[in-house]
Amino acid sequence: MASSAAVSTAPPALSLPPSQFARLQPHAYLLAHLSPPASSQQPSIRANGRAPSQFRVTSTNTGSLTHTNGSSVVRLGDTTAVCGIKAEILHTEDIASWSVSHSSSSSTPNKRRKLTNPTEKPGEDRQDGSDEVEDDDSYIEDFSLLVPNLSLSTGCAPGFIPGAPPSALAQSLSHRVLSLLHSSRLVRSEDLEIWYQRPNLGPEELERHNEDEQMDVDVEQDGSGSVGETREIKAFWVLYIDIMIISLAGNPFDAAWTAVLAALRDTKLPRAWWHADNETVICSDLVSEARRLSLRGLPVASSFRVFEADAASGWRAVIVPDAEEERKIAESDRKGIQRRWVLADPDGYEEGLAQERVCLVIDKDQRQNGKVVIVKMEKNGGFAVDRKELKELVAVSAQRWEEINKILGQC
Amino acid sequence: MAAQRQASSASQTPHISPAELSYIYTSLSLPGAPIRPDGRSATQFRPLSAETDILPGTNGSARVGFADGTQAIVGVKAEVERTALGIEALTQAEQEEYAAETGGNSKSDGVKQGSSSGQGSWVQMAIEIPGFRDDDALPVFLAEMMREPLVESVAGGGEGGMVGGLKGRLVINRRWHWRLYIDVLLLSQPLSYPLPLLSLTTHLALLSTKLPKLKSKGEEDPFFDDDWDAAEYLYPRAKSTSTKPSSIPGSISVHKVRPPVTLLVVSVAENVIFDPSREEIAVADAVLAISVTHDTDSGRLKLLSIRTIDPPSRLTQPGVPNSENVATLGSTAAAEESVIINPSTGEEEVPGVWRPRRGGVKRATIAKMVKMVLEKGGVGEEVLEGLEGVEVG
Amino acid sequence: MTDRRRINGPPGGTRPPVFASSIKPTTVAAERPQRQRQPNELRKIFLKTGLIPSASGSSYLEFEPSASLSAARASPQSVIPPSSSLKLACTVHGPKPLARSATFSPNLVLTTHVKYAPFAARQRKGHIRDASERDLGVHLETALRGAIVAERWPKSGLDITITVLEAEDDRWWADAPDSHDAAWGMMNVLAGCITAASAAIADARIDCLDLVAGGVAAVVADETAERGVSAPRLMLDTDPADHRSTLSACVVAYMPARDEITELWLKGDISKASVGIDDKNLTHEALIDGAVDAARGAHSVLAEAVRESAERFAGLSSGKST
Repeated sequence: MASSAAVSTAPPALSLPPSQFARLQPHAYLLAHLSPPASSQQPSIRANGRAPSQFRVTSTNTGSLTHTNGSSVVRLGDTTAVCGIKAEILHTEDIASWSVSHSSSSSTPNKRRKLTNPTEKPGEDRQDGSDEVEDDDSYIEDFSLLVPNLSLSTGCAPGFIPGAPPSALAQSLSHRVLSLLHSSRLVRSEDLEIWYQRPNLGPEELERHNEDEQMDVDVEQDGSGSVGETREIKAFWVLYIDIMIISLAGNPFDAAWTAVLAALRDTKLPRAWWHADNETVICSDLVSEARRLSLRGLPVASSFRVFEADAASGWRAVIVPDAEEERKIAESDRKGIQRRWVLADPDGYEEGLAQERVCLVIDKDQRQNGKVVIVKMEKNGGFAVDRKELKELVAVSAQRWEEINKILGQC
Repeated sequence: MAAQRQASSASQTPHISPAELSYIYTSLSLPGAPIRPDGRSATQFRPLSAETDILPGTNGSARVGFADGTQAIVGVKAEVERTALGIEALTQAEQEEYAAETGGNSKSDGVKQGSSSGQGSWVQMAIEIPGFRDDDALPVFLAEMMREPLVESVAGGGEGGMVGGLKGRLVINRRWHWRLYIDVLLLSQPLSYPLPLLSLTTHLALLSTKLPKLKSKGEEDPFFDDDWDAAEYLYPRAKSTSTKPSSIPGSISVHKVRPPVTLLVVSVAENVIFDPSREEIAVADAVLAISVTHDTDSGRLKLLSIRTIDPPSRLTQPGVPNSENVATLGSTAAAEESVIINPSTGEEEVPGVWRPRRGGVKRATIAKMVKMVLEKGGVGEEVLEGLEGVEVG
Repeated sequence: MTDRRRINGPPGGTRPPVFASSIKPTTVAAERPQRQRQPNELRKIFLKTGLIPSASGSSYLEFEPSASLSAARASPQSVIPPSSSLKLACTVHGPKPLARSATFSPNLVLTTHVKYAPFAARQRKGHIRDASERDLGVHLETALRGAIVAERWPKSGLDITITVLEAEDDRWWADAPDSHDAAWGMMNVLAGCITAASAAIADARIDCLDLVAGGVAAVVADETAERGVSAPRLMLDTDPADHRSTLSACVVAYMPARDEITELWLKGDISKASVGIDDKNLTHEALIDGAVDAARGAHSVLAEAVRESAERFAGLSSGKST
């Protein structure tokens, strides 16, 4: 069907095969697909056969990489992202600013940290989402406990030279992932903290100390009234989140973010405790004791590109569209002549033709009947999309959320 | 870009015309008796001059110069380093305790074995070649090629021998070890593939390397005798039987264990040629780097590593036979040419017309090359004997 | 110096986790994985071409997980994996014109690039290629250059990029590095790289003399119940984690049709191994022959993958013409 549409619109004198027409006149080719002649009764369809708001088939697979704490492979059409998470330990003594700002925190009761919370079982449903302390996760950002890096130097597309430093695109994608991790507060800081309960220095306690130190912290905590005075954070887990884009065919951000999401859901951290004699952190290698991260929600990213019929329209003078223009657009809309299309999940071919970019990260609040929450909204490269269209895009993204939720639930 | 490309091949492809390449190839492939451009026999090495202990600031050093003017200097520095108390070290310490408690089990002897052996990463090698960045393929490949046999050799045994090879020698006690930095400098542009020169220089530098004498005992933090005369050789020497060892160069063969040497061997048609010059390597069918050392027990040579090196002949420009050349088309010369099958490569060739090599090397050829190095009285022994003639220390 | 173009972790550095079972043997004190295969039995290889459409040729290769690893996957007990299996992706871009600044080349200029993903090994790898990765690149280039008919593409370049997603271990994780420690896992990685790159090159329709396949053989010593370490034996396609120590190993890149080796990398000291026992088979020649046998095995998988690639291409071109 794709080819027939192209042939019908190409000038009859030039009988180019569709594939060559697509290369020579990419813009006209895509336009011809999106605006079929009214007589043909065909729906507006993209050159890749998708409807404008249709995403590519997405599949994920998690936990296949042996040396990671959590891993995932996400295929978004022909774009493939592999994400592996390796957890390492950051001792607080290695944090330069720690001793100044935090060492006394455990002994002063009116400090911002709530010290009763961390031993709560992560699996339990936290219904206290609203009363969490505002700066709960400041550790994650302050000590860079999440380290995402995205690599395009994998031969994923011809333009990226392997071995060269990360390209501008790779750098910007890495930073977008990082800022989204921070702003969405996906990972809880308390999942990454490794606490130490200093034993009370009673004589019989000292004797039992050697057996006790391997017990779980909350066992030791039982019955002791002076918890707040002896517990302290000795170390943090640092999650190195590395994303390799193995194959790039447009929309790397959605693929990368979905991979990060799937890998974080797969991540298990071993139980870790402070070994006072060795002055180091020891981990248990029992799978039964390892725990998963308890993530906050499921922010799903959906990217869109705006394709405009007038290729030069991106270059018009920067003026606020006045009433006259609005009227014209409304009129052409009535006539059924569409001048621009918002394409969901653009492939590499479409990305080259559409400048304006919209990225919506939304979540659904499970506690409030699946209320749609916009976690992040990015729009740049043009001014075609207005409020009304953004609303529609949020609706499309909400549908996408359901899809991704289902896909991630399966693996 | 160009430098990068050529760096990846065996060495810079010399700018030799296809006609010259064909001429060199033909003379080198004469059955039984190759004629080399500089008149050497197939197994003969280029003359060289060598001296050791030239740099007072190092633990050991050497300089070797070939007659063609290429020179290399190697300096060896040793530093004491705390053995990383990583997972393995913790394992060892605690497992031994555990084994002691429980009366020992099969695990403990495995651990004890491990404690006497060093790690390959304690030997670091850096090669500097003019015109190359230190992370270019050629210096990295050369460094790995020379480091590999060095740490691979696990010659043991005997008094004065080195248990666990060089790696074992670097262990001071369970918590401390020596780290060896071997810095190799090629002083001139690499006229030919610099491997033999660098390998010989490194060999001599290691022979002359001394480590200060350890005064501490057991698991103490190490401290050393500051008397340099009391220092011990890295590669230990047995007490010389000769009364005046320095007067007779030949009798200094007192090293029980010697560092390995890496030889560059090429095959041209049926012939095997050692220490190839630049022109010879340019026409080689196959290039091998073979590392050997003395086996202390059997007194024979033993093989430590083999690596193929990408022969630059694959990147050369082909010659054009008269039959295809527009200028000579139809002349009588073209008619006289006949296509023959090269017996070593199995490809159709016109005699006298150069074709870049392609394909690999037959197993029989590899076996022949290795045998010539290893056999008793073969080239390997000859080289090691020659090196023993160099006065060290 | 910090890398400004990447997101760096905490400036003080982080440490890999230390596990309790490595300090005191616990109830789940993991046991060394045992090789379940016959000495000359090879692991199964998953090899597929054409998964990356933007490249002219591509392939994905995976080694079958060892019995211990698949058991650990099925019923996980310890978070420490017993062993790992190779997984890598290979892309080929080209032939394409050389850069303007490049000098004239009468032959196809090959660029090979091997990079481990940071999460590929037990220890986190850096983002910048280290010496072993560059070394692998040179080995791979040597192996491929002998197989490609380079003079058919003058003034052109071919970029081969391999991303190793999961590498093989150099030894069993709980072993202290012993006298035979070396990067043995790297040799398996190289063999995989050669086979995968060969498939990707064929998928890119570059003329080759033959499909060049990689194979590994090693002389290994195992633990036995009675007397510590057993007599060394020659085995094909070894997983270093399975054995007490690897004495010597060899990788070849082999072209069966011409019976030629384009790349040979042998290292290790087997003089001790052959002295103690009367097995005259433990020579370097036996080792090379073993590696060649392993490569022959890999070649059969390679041929199958390339046939699939050719069928897909034929289907594609016939579809285009109609």
